[in-house]
Amino acid sequence: MINPSPARGWLFFAVGLAAAYAAGMGLVYAVSGVLTYVHLVPILLATVVSATTMSWGASGFSPLTKGFLGLTLGGLLGYALGLVIDLLVQGLVDWAAPTASLFSLLIGFTAFFLGVAGLNAVSKGLIWQIIGTLTGAILVSLIRAAMGLEWSGTFLFTEPAWVTGAFLGVLFFLGGNGSVSDWFKWARGIDTPEHHEDAPGWQKYLSVSLDHKVIGIQYTVTALFLIGVGGLFALIFRAELAASQLQFLTNDVRLFGQTGPQLYNTFMSLHGMIMIISILLGIAGMINYAVPFLLGAQDMAFPRLNAFSFWIAVPASVLMLMSLILGGFDTGWTGYPPLSARAPVGMQMFFLGVFTAGWSSILGALNTIATVLRMRAKGMTAFRMPIFVWAAVATSIIALTATQLIGLSFQLVMFQRLLGMGFFDPAKGGNPVLFQHLFWFYSHPAVYVFILPGLGIISELIPVFARKPLFGYRWIAMSSLAIALVGFLVWAHHMFTSGMNEYLRVPFMYSTLLVAVPTGVKFFSWVATLWKGKIWTPTPMLFVLGGLVVFLLGGLSGPPNATVSTDLHLHDTYFIVGHFHDTIFGGFVFPFFAAIYYWFPKATGRRMSETLGKLHFWLMTPAFFVLTFGMMRIGLLGMRRRIADYDPALNFDFTHLILTVAGFLIALSVMIFIYNFFHSIKNGEKAEGNIWGSRSPEWQVPSPLPAHNYDQPFEVVGEPYDYGLPGAKYIEFVKPAKSGRK
Amino acid sequence: MPHTQDKSSAFAQGLLIFVYLAALTALEYFIAVTFKGVPILALVAVVKAALVMYYYMHIYKLNEDGGSDHHSYAYKTVTNRIGLWLFLLSDAFVFGGLMTARINLLGLTHPHLNQTLGLAVTAVLLISSFFMNRGETAMAHGDKKGFFVNTLITFFLGLGFLLGVVAVEWPLAAAEGLTPDSGVAGAVFYMMTGMHAFHVFTGLIFLLVVLNNARKGVYSAERHWGVEAAAVYWHFVDLVWIFFYPALYLIGKAL
Repeated sequence: MINPSPARGWLFFAVGLAAAYAAGMGLVYAVSGVLTYVHLVPILLATVVSATTMSWGASGFSPLTKGFLGLTLGGLLGYALGLVIDLLVQGLVDWAAPTASLFSLLIGFTAFFLGVAGLNAVSKGLIWQIIGTLTGAILVSLIRAAMGLEWSGTFLFTEPAWVTGAFLGVLFFLGGNGSVSDWFKWARGIDTPEHHEDAPGWQKYLSVSLDHKVIGIQYTVTALFLIGVGGLFALIFRAELAASQLQFLTNDVRLFGQTGPQLYNTFMSLHGMIMIISILLGIAGMINYAVPFLLGAQDMAFPRLNAFSFWIAVPASVLMLMSLILGGFDTGWTGYPPLSARAPVGMQMFFLGVFTAGWSSILGALNTIATVLRMRAKGMTAFRMPIFVWAAVATSIIALTATQLIGLSFQLVMFQRLLGMGFFDPAKGGNPVLFQHLFWFYSHPAVYVFILPGLGIISELIPVFARKPLFGYRWIAMSSLAIALVGFLVWAHHMFTSGMNEYLRVPFMYSTLLVAVPTGVKFFSWVATLWKGKIWTPTPMLFVLGGLVVFLLGGLSGPPNATVSTDLHLHDTYFIVGHFHDTIFGGFVFPFFAAIYYWFPKATGRRMSETLGKLHFWLMTPAFFVLTFGMMRIGLLGMRRRIADYDPALNFDFTHLILTVAGFLIALSVMIFIYNFFHSIKNGEKAEGNIWGSRSPEWQVPSPLPAHNYDQPFEVVGEPYDYGLPGAKYIEFVKPAKSGRK
Repeated sequence: MPHTQDKSSAFAQGLLIFVYLAALTALEYFIAVTFKGVPILALVAVVKAALVMYYYMHIYKLNEDGGSDHHSYAYKTVTNRIGLWLFLLSDAFVFGGLMTARINLLGLTHPHLNQTLGLAVTAVLLISSFFMNRGETAMAHGDKKGFFVNTLITFFLGLGFLLGVVAVEWPLAAAEGLTPDSGVAGAVFYMMTGMHAFHVFTGLIFLLVVLNNARKGVYSAERHWGVEAAAVYWHFVDLVWIFFYPALYLIGKAL
């Protein structure tokens, strides 16, 4: 029990948990005189302290332990600092004031990364983001004070100050962490080497790397973190929904300047947008990691832009979390005015966060298209590219162009709030429906951004695990493009009940139904590929098959929403929620997990545990079916979406309870996955060869890949998916020329 | 007109295109003060945009392949060019969205603005594009002094446009009651000109960077991607104004 060991870790975890919980309860009692065991202070304190002690017990004074210690101390320090500032500015101490929580979050996060690896790209960036936010906010506050305006508000600073600060914070993050330093050198006429040496070991993942594989993993891990945050929010409001009436997000709750029901709204809204950002980062992870080596390229076309696209997503995520603390917002993820024109400051942080994350998506898409156009290996013609690359291109076309429109629509609301510009204010001649058009012009095609890479993964992996050629390669490639292009013409099907011109309904209904055609092409191809194949089901294939079935359910529950007559009944019910989760789990979550299980050995040289992987699958899939079927059932019976409470007379209590249990089971399965992921990096079974028997070029060389992917270039000499055909070859490595440049 | 040419005919071509563009702008103004034909105004704007994209922005260069050596400057320049055009395509959607908002909110009316000033700043921006073209052509032929002089003129004309909009036009409009919060016309006007002015501002910074690097001798006739990028970006800003000018000043009745 002296040396660090898992057993010692669990023991320390239990001790830390109990001690911190008791200390937290004592603290609450000392301050408020109420003895309660359901309180955020002991819960949060116990979480961070038990994580610290567990890590200490299991691994000694390791970087992770230092990180958790930093999180705990930084969080407490930030909280104290916030209280002092509040006392100085407002003249009173408010324990639940947002200022203290905000400083606690920002300083805690920063201290975590400082503890893990000292000054690195993340901790430097976060420090600079804090400095930038304060600089901007204080500057605007000073100007306001000099102009004789109110300079401080409920959330310490006024709204214009927060917006300026948040914007400067993002710029400072990027300037401070080194992701733009090469560009600044270029601007001053200084040349930089084409590639930089990465730090050795895991530390390169915390630095600005230009290697697309490192960036892909950075994206993926960030996406997993955000899935955790968004999932946590879902669990919180799912727990509230388990029974009718308000149980713990009650009106007496006061946190981050919000009451319980307001918190419900914020969690519900942020669950949506944080998950969307995590999906965007997840697909960027898959595309960044896989596309260059699938093409035989050394890297993406613009490695610095690639690093920039990732790093800009980090301050964006911080802004999303800030929106929770700065009063939250209650509009749902769509942020429709006029409600969003009135919501607290958190709304602005949400707008800025989405705007910033949008740039990550746009620039990543630009890079992907340029890479596919310019960086293919010799002989890799358009129809000999791996099919995932087609999906990546289709998704990038949407992300490159349409994303600007959500950025613009949110910007217009921002300016309406800041300067009184009346775009969506009918009193000034504005038109709220215009917002919905601009918003959905991105936000509908966005779901194709989410699912196309996932469908590409399904198409990519089915031939590997069915040992048969992919059926109808060209049709699948073209169907991805067709979904992307038709996707631009369907946005107003979200607005059948919004009061837009009625003559627009029918054309948008038909264009929406048209999406079923290319999607159907994909399904027929998958089924035809599986037919009479030698199907083999290790974990990646399980997730592919699961994704296929779940996406089919999502697809079949779509047309009732697209058809005007039925949508008028279904609009804003849980049926939509069930349909949407089916499409996103089938089109993104399942294939994303499949891709991680499939390429994990390529990245680490070890494979993830099959047992835990199968447990993950067989826990998540049934729970998920229960969840969405239940959602659709109560939706058909009239359960409205986005509400914190429902009438007990509707008799939904039991179904909601089941849904909550299913939600927690999914969370449990994802925790198993995350354990498996991090545990297998060091302890997984060695797997350096072509363990899946794939024909894809990256599996023809040992894992993990070196910094520039292939020591010798290859030439494409055959078709990519000729599994089971004797003598068929896809690529041939070219002998390196003796004095050739690498 | 051929694409590859000697220096003097390249300059002559730039001048000719400038004359076309100026004549078409005058035509737009004439249409606006006489019979206000919106479809014809739109057609003229499209023709102007096509001229700028072909002769000033050299869109046909996207067809080049840059040889087979992926590490050569020529190959990378073609890749960079594709990247830049993809960025412009993306950026065009912002302006397209603003245009959609303008059409939806204002329809066949436009804010009450100073027409003379509008025509003047438009002319200044158009002339700046002409000098930008001369600057880029000079660099492509190795004439660094010509590049420097012409790009400097471009910079000052661009600065003139920016100040003309932000420091003259905005206060004038505000003085007549058109403020950002006065109503939807003010909101659209300030948002469209503001977004465009922001792009002009970034373009000016880009020009300063290129001028500074040219002073240090970074560019040559064969290697001047930075100059080309700055020029194409500058012409793109002009291209946006080709649509924004009639949309804000010419279409429909003044409010």
